[in-house]
Amino acid sequence: MNNVIGGTVHLDDVRFSYDNGATWVLDGVDLDIRSGECVCLIGPNGAGKSTLARLVAGLAAPDSGSVRLLGCAVFGDDGPHAESYRTARRGIGAVFQNPEDQIVTTVLEDDVAFGPENLAVERDEIGRRIDSALQCVDLTDLRMADPTRFSGGQQQRAAIAGMLAMHPRLLVLDEPTAMLDAASRAEVMAVLDTLHASGTTIVHVTHRTEETLHADRVLQLEDGRIADVSPGKSAAAIRPSHRMTEQQSPAPGATEHSPSMSKAKEQTPPAPKMALQEPTTPLVSLDHVTFAYPDAVSPVLADVSLHINAGETVALMGANGSGKSTLAKLVCALGKPSSGDITVAGIAVARRDGRHMRYANRRQLKALRGAVGYVMQHPERQLFAQTVAEDVAYGPRNQGLGDKQATERVGQALRLLHIEHLAERSPFALSVGQQRLAAIAGVIACRPRLLVMDEPTAGLDARARAYVRELIDSLHDSGVAVLLITHDSDEARQLADRVIELGGESEQDKSSHRRLKQDNTSRHSEQDQPSRCHSERAKRVEESPIARLDPRVKLPALLALMLCAFAIGNATQLAVGALAVLAIVIASRIKPGRLLRSIHGFLVLFVLMGLLNVFFVRTGTALFTFGSFSVTDEGLATAGLYICRFAMVIILGAVFLETTTPTAITDALASLLSPLRRLGLHTQETALVLSLALRFIPTLVGEVRSIFDAQSARGGSIETGSAFQRIRAMGAIIVPVFAGALRHADNLSLALDARCYEQGLTRTHWHLLRLGFNDCLFALFTLAAIAAILLLGLLP
Amino acid sequence: MSVSSDNQPRPTRNHANGSHSTGVADSGRWSTRRIAIYALFVALAMVLSFIELPIFPAAPWLKYDPSGIVCLIAGFAFGPSAAGIVSVLGFLPHVFTNPWGALMSMAVAVALSVPAALIYRRMRTRAGAAWGMAVGMVLALIIAIVGNLLITPIYAHMSTAQVAAMILPVLLPFNLLKFAIHAVVTFLIYKPITTLLDR
Repeated sequence: MNNVIGGTVHLDDVRFSYDNGATWVLDGVDLDIRSGECVCLIGPNGAGKSTLARLVAGLAAPDSGSVRLLGCAVFGDDGPHAESYRTARRGIGAVFQNPEDQIVTTVLEDDVAFGPENLAVERDEIGRRIDSALQCVDLTDLRMADPTRFSGGQQQRAAIAGMLAMHPRLLVLDEPTAMLDAASRAEVMAVLDTLHASGTTIVHVTHRTEETLHADRVLQLEDGRIADVSPGKSAAAIRPSHRMTEQQSPAPGATEHSPSMSKAKEQTPPAPKMALQEPTTPLVSLDHVTFAYPDAVSPVLADVSLHINAGETVALMGANGSGKSTLAKLVCALGKPSSGDITVAGIAVARRDGRHMRYANRRQLKALRGAVGYVMQHPERQLFAQTVAEDVAYGPRNQGLGDKQATERVGQALRLLHIEHLAERSPFALSVGQQRLAAIAGVIACRPRLLVMDEPTAGLDARARAYVRELIDSLHDSGVAVLLITHDSDEARQLADRVIELGGESEQDKSSHRRLKQDNTSRHSEQDQPSRCHSERAKRVEESPIARLDPRVKLPALLALMLCAFAIGNATQLAVGALAVLAIVIASRIKPGRLLRSIHGFLVLFVLMGLLNVFFVRTGTALFTFGSFSVTDEGLATAGLYICRFAMVIILGAVFLETTTPTAITDALASLLSPLRRLGLHTQETALVLSLALRFIPTLVGEVRSIFDAQSARGGSIETGSAFQRIRAMGAIIVPVFAGALRHADNLSLALDARCYEQGLTRTHWHLLRLGFNDCLFALFTLAAIAAILLLGLLP
Repeated sequence: MSVSSDNQPRPTRNHANGSHSTGVADSGRWSTRRIAIYALFVALAMVLSFIELPIFPAAPWLKYDPSGIVCLIAGFAFGPSAAGIVSVLGFLPHVFTNPWGALMSMAVAVALSVPAALIYRRMRTRAGAAWGMAVGMVLALIIAIVGNLLITPIYAHMSTAQVAAMILPVLLPFNLLKFAIHAVVTFLIYKPITTLLDR
């Protein structure tokens, strides 16, 4: 490995095809990157940037050519060299576009430790690496926080920290800022500058002109080749002449420096494209609307009023978490405000009626769905049908249109978005940009009078962006009102008659604490998960004797106690069980109110169980008699006993889940199951599968909800219609959900590769499991309780 | 279901490893892609297992949850071991609320999806999938009924004979309806999903 000829990265005549050679994504790429260089890779969507980034990161092998990474000849004429790839990868870090999919656990320090653990770094050294990595990305204060709830910028910084802890010599970043707002982009770019200054070689794929200013060299990838090698710094001056940038604002570097909104408002001409100035009834009116997610600390929207006239294009701007998306959903009747009036297209969506709120009924909702189109964030995620045409026809068909009319609508919508040629293709075989256009066509085909679009151009390349903007313009000309949510102030100025800014938070506010706080409230409530903010209360529970037990003892002990509870058959046994549960609850320091809430969902089941018991037990003295039924005292006693013992089980389960992190559950399972490894079972991998699954649950729940909303907005409903319509509606939700799961899986597998995870590798552990005195005590306690219950059952 | 050619020896590896492998995850091991896909399928099964739709008015305590669809799809796309893992891990969260019920759900899901995957592995056609699901349905039905005989008395003060009296009017039709919905939806969505897997 001493011969570092050719520098850090050396690619020679590299070709890569996704379809066995029919087309070449990379077609003869030669590339040399020197140690310590910062190289930017630019080019249109589909030019092969991500593919090249994966090759450079050692995460994929090409079809032909030769690749040398960090001095290791990893690919040559004789194919891939697994051992060299393995060696090279240990020195290469990779960060990807989607921040969330790179997170593997729910505690930041554990997430950062994952890579070093895979490299079998000593435990003390892991601790030092976590410290310095978090310091470098400025996340030290959030060390114990849950990264799945971070803002996008914080998540990317966490992902970078996860890489830094592995001490990479080369860091490859594939559009790390594509999904971020301006403030978060700046955070990430600042970290990259620091790393570059400290000598790390950086390969950075980007769409943004201003980010290439940081580079030593800018490489332009086009049609599978490196077309243009321009020296950095000055590159920005050359770029606008290129064809893909002609739609962009020509001022290099200036595009994203968001001008103050007051300026934007001034620049909006006083006589907008709207000719009508006389007062008409607005198409949309929100009056004093307040909306809070369940158990959020403060409302997302507080006393918001907003009016949109027919045919008007209104841009809605504001920092992340200011409630833009929530407002869009309220307008589409996909959420219910807690107070205020909403009227859309003459339909009272929400109205204050005395002390109560009244919401639109089913018939009104149907009328509203016909009038309002909703393009959610990343609408490509709602695609489900076999062909684009079929997908676009979904909305018109739900409106009850016949074949001919539906086909006509589909044709028009596809033409408006310039994708007629894709009509018969599978939506899943398209590029992201094409998918976005197809999904938007699916909403346009419903012919709405109002179109609500949530960041429709985010992450698109210049051409696709231009098509979407053209669409908004032509909708405006044909009198359709548009509510456009955007982060791009140029876009807002260019397209909208009016710009409205939501929330007082300025974009400049980069204090990470504030952002997290703000983010926590919004994100957490969206996902309906119990809050894990580090409040005093949560801390008390975390430090309780139960929480500090070794999960290897706690898990089997509590499970045994739970199973044993079902053996309770008389009052004495119940008393023993109840005392044991009480002792455990007290030792866990969880507030009784919180536990009651966890039982809340089972109340219906309790009632049913009670009724069943009352009905089936005929012995004892009859208390009431209804016809042939009789309720006996023994029946009631049995019902009470069964409900109590089931409640005990649920309380014990809740205590376990409240006091044990997913990581601890996984560690315990891996350790308890490890003897099965001898039988050839993949216990370590199964435990990892479980821990990743638990971590992705909130993500999937959020996604299922947004797809459900989007399809409802196109008139798809599982609750009404014929059996066939319902099953089709179910398919329109399940297929995109699966697609989403697979997309996350693809990203996640790359993230695992980048962290050097391999099956069967010897890992070190940041978390040490140690059996202590308390663990033995707890084991004895549960054993005693179980023995008592079982023995009392044997007594006459 | 005609995506993979019929005479491939080990077609599961296709989906799990993808092409352009660096060779780091060689055969016989679990690639990171396999781990990631299993993880997301398990997560999906967990999420769907919390959806409870009453589909059978005669027995409101018996609920339909769509998670079985995920187990079947996992089995068809990745083989019997995937079906088993998704079936067992998918119901793990329920162990902490309803331990016996969770064990039974796991057993039923395994009985449905693992045989279906085993048969489809040998007969990679539409007919094979249909046969697989039919055999799975019969086995799952047996497990569900036996399980109910054993478990219902734990929750309600009923004798086994009393539960047995419910088999014909309640348990049999409910479970048949449940598996039928699983099978129909799986049939409808498998094709688009394999398109995604093969991308």
